[in-house]
Amino acid sequence: MTTASPNILVVEDDRETRTLIAKYLRNNACNVATANDGREMARAMADHRVDLLILDVMLPGEDGLSLCRKIRAESQVPIIMLTARGEDVDRILGLEMGADDYLAKPFNPRELLARINAVLRRQAAAQTISTIHGVTALAFAGWRIDFRLRELRNPAGARVAMTSAEFDLLRALCERPGRVLSRDSLLDLTQGRNAGSFERSIDVLISRIRRKIEPDPQDATMIKTVRSGGYVFTPAVEAITVPINGLS
Amino acid sequence: MKLLDFLHLKNISGQIAALVIASIIAIHLILAAIFLVSRPDQPDPTIDRGHAQFAAAVLLLGAAPAADRQRLFADVARAFPKLEVESLPPGPVPPAGDPEGLDLRSLHRRLDSRYRIFPLAHDEDRHKVGIALPDGAMISAKVLPDLRPRPFWIGPWVVTLLFAIISVSLLGLWAARALTAPLSSFAKAAESFSLNGAAAPLPERGPEEIRSVAKALNRMRERITTLIDDRTRMLAAISHDLRTPITRMRLRSEFIEDDVHRHRMMSDLDQMRSMLESVLSFLRNDRKLEAMTLTDIATTLQLVTDQFADMGHKVAYDGPEHAMAIVRPDDLSRSVTNLVENSVRFGAMATIRLRVSPDIVTIEVEDDGPGISDARKDVMLEPFVRGDEARNMDEAAGFGLGLSIAHTIVLAHGGKLCLNDREPHGLIVCIQLPVRQPNRQSAA
Repeated sequence: MTTASPNILVVEDDRETRTLIAKYLRNNACNVATANDGREMARAMADHRVDLLILDVMLPGEDGLSLCRKIRAESQVPIIMLTARGEDVDRILGLEMGADDYLAKPFNPRELLARINAVLRRQAAAQTISTIHGVTALAFAGWRIDFRLRELRNPAGARVAMTSAEFDLLRALCERPGRVLSRDSLLDLTQGRNAGSFERSIDVLISRIRRKIEPDPQDATMIKTVRSGGYVFTPAVEAITVPINGLS
Repeated sequence: MKLLDFLHLKNISGQIAALVIASIIAIHLILAAIFLVSRPDQPDPTIDRGHAQFAAAVLLLGAAPAADRQRLFADVARAFPKLEVESLPPGPVPPAGDPEGLDLRSLHRRLDSRYRIFPLAHDEDRHKVGIALPDGAMISAKVLPDLRPRPFWIGPWVVTLLFAIISVSLLGLWAARALTAPLSSFAKAAESFSLNGAAAPLPERGPEEIRSVAKALNRMRERITTLIDDRTRMLAAISHDLRTPITRMRLRSEFIEDDVHRHRMMSDLDQMRSMLESVLSFLRNDRKLEAMTLTDIATTLQLVTDQFADMGHKVAYDGPEHAMAIVRPDDLSRSVTNLVENSVRFGAMATIRLRVSPDIVTIEVEDDGPGISDARKDVMLEPFVRGDEARNMDEAAGFGLGLSIAHTIVLAHGGKLCLNDREPHGLIVCIQLPVRQPNRQSAA
């Protein structure tokens, strides 16, 4: 959907891991540049256009979180954070610093590719409600979907558990309320078509989301099935703007 | 303790010696005071005054020559009118004997055998007795009633003595207790020693010996805590550092041409990753990083069910579509995931059940595996204990942390986890959680 081969910059201090990620991504039709630390990253970003940044949290010198905050202050380039910690604190910190997504080491390379595709597609699919700067959450029928914390809360304020794939799909749906979205376009918006077979089909994910948010999953009123083959998100969606913490 | 400090009695032996000496001195002082006040060593003049007068008068009359006796009678009657001394007409001496109801032992002691006492026949007054003097003359006199001493046990000095002994013993008991109380607090502290460092150090007070023991115990506690912390840090560091090579290997495995080998390598790496994660989450458990929040736990359980179903396991969810409770959502999810992981490892299918009552949610994870014998149920909740005992790392092996982590998480929620048998075979892990946390009533 976007450029045939996106320019990706991998910032990672472990040489082996860096080369391997680069090699894997090149095999999957990406242009990859690499950087060892923040200084090299700044040089690489000045030299050529970067469509997406893969940023390790643990870096020599300035760490990934602080680099992420600096970049966010200047540009909207999508950022996926990598960390060896994988604790919730890091996840929330990373996303509050303005990262678009987050992967804990050791990660599945296919999942990294899927996340890259999802972030790029989200970026490319313009004129959605949340591309307005500063929108971090959407509200519909009392529900609230928070992109920063990657969590969904019901009208009672209770957190509802979702997998990453379910969350991305619900996000794609409620960013485009009232529009009929085919299975293919939902696949494009979320995982990318060649993301691999480890993700569930759109239909399975939709039925799981329905079970969680519909008052009566058998008679869906929020995510309606369209006869020609697709889904439409019916509730009115409202943007919630919260300034990103730590943004200077 | 101020006084003890002043006297420089810092040793427990010194304090006990001081206690003993002080008690002895106290008892001696009290006894001495009682003796000085009531003089029990001197005969009480009131006690046998009657008998002494009687004996003196009789001896006087007996020793006097018969000629002087009339004049002496008058003198005695004047001096001791109460004795009512009279001379009896001469005649045969009646047989000797004590009159009824009178105790004349002290009289006998004072009069020698030449004086004989006999009862009077015409008994107008019971207290009057007849006495035959050595020369055969007979007189009658009245024996004044003795002033009986008060019974021994109600004497004022006895009561005082008893009071003193009881109070000194009580004082001694109290003081001994105060001396040994730190010892029992040591036992309690050693018993409740835990590695989370929550318990306060022992107070370093009291006698020298106790203080040095307290100091030594506190130092030992510090050393143990440091040792455990070091080991925990080391384990965490190893687990962290292993992630880098595993990440590399995971990336490398993508370049393996042979599908069979690639898949096997990936599943090995997945196993290593999940073991590392279990160690890290075990080390993280007591730190309670995650905040409590209102959560639809039914969706959490559905999510776990879906994830296992996606991996090709037979896992079913049985319970309401929605159920609210205040929990740490990620911790709860990890806990149930661990239980289901065990279930599908040892059994062919697993069922996650959810029952909700106003105060308690009950989550059951049931499998049809071999179950756990009653003898091993408690042991299985300990970390690094595995069902198969042997340390061989076959494909189904973990570190033996899954159940222990689940248990710790449930305890941190103020709930409880128990292992039950399933008929005909299998295990039911039952988790009970409070719907609301007691210390915070309102949801976040």
